[in-house]
Amino acid sequence: MEPIPRNLKILTGITIALFLIALYMVFIYAPREAVMGDVQRVFYFHVAAGWVGAVAFLVTAIAGGVYLAKRDRKWDRVAVASVEIGVVFIFINIVSGAIWARPIWNTWWTWDPRLVTATIMLLLYLAYLMLRQGIDDPDRRARFGAIYGIVAFVSVPITFLSIRIFRTIHPVVIGSGDPTAEGAFDMTPPMLQAFMFSLLTFTFIYMTLLWYRVRLGRLSEQVEERKMEMMSI
Amino acid sequence: MMFLQEAPAETFNYMAFGFIVILGTMGLYVLSLINRYRNLERDMELLDEVSAKAEPSTESA
Repeated sequence: MEPIPRNLKILTGITIALFLIALYMVFIYAPREAVMGDVQRVFYFHVAAGWVGAVAFLVTAIAGGVYLAKRDRKWDRVAVASVEIGVVFIFINIVSGAIWARPIWNTWWTWDPRLVTATIMLLLYLAYLMLRQGIDDPDRRARFGAIYGIVAFVSVPITFLSIRIFRTIHPVVIGSGDPTAEGAFDMTPPMLQAFMFSLLTFTFIYMTLLWYRVRLGRLSEQVEERKMEMMSI
Repeated sequence: MMFLQEAPAETFNYMAFGFIVILGTMGLYVLSLINRYRNLERDMELLDEVSAKAEPSTESA
């Protein structure tokens, strides 16, 4: 059994501490929003989850490029680990957005450009995970994953820019967006601090989960190699 | 109508639901990582045992 590296233990400790502080900032430090009330507190983790998804898919595209250049399978492990985490966090982003939307937009779902592009992005990366399962040869699987990860990344800037380009009811919190957007609000300094701290915390959560998920991928490969060795005896 | 009111809207239940989903999904993912890692460790131990048993028999043969 491979022990958990010391640096990973330290990172885990820092992440847990940051997460507890983030919870304090979201629930106690940040004030209640004047119009929307308590549901606005979902915003801090809703945006942070979307941020993790975007970062995760960027890391996948970069790792895919490095794999194609070096043909080192460790980069494929990083890419697939990052996609899995990205999918989890984009799922959180979409579902928490729907819950926030219900009292503000009076609907769980609407065919808004941001909601549609985010869902297409989630489905694209779910397909990445499913299609990989169907390829037995590890090198072919890694090559496919690398190219798919690079091409699918196009969906990330489209999702990010959708509320800035198209007419939408989704608010743009940072920068200027459509004035007809519903649910927009001005952040007070404590709100902004809670928001920035949540982004930092979720970045640490991503790094920690990525490290653990890469370890899992490595162990999985070792088990598979061992099985192949035994079958060949 | 929400935007004509003076007091904040009563949306506590939606907030609670939102955080249950967020924290619950994150918790489930962490548990799945732990569970998958433990299963693989068990597989590895089992493979070690099987190969240890197989080695003496191949030597004697």
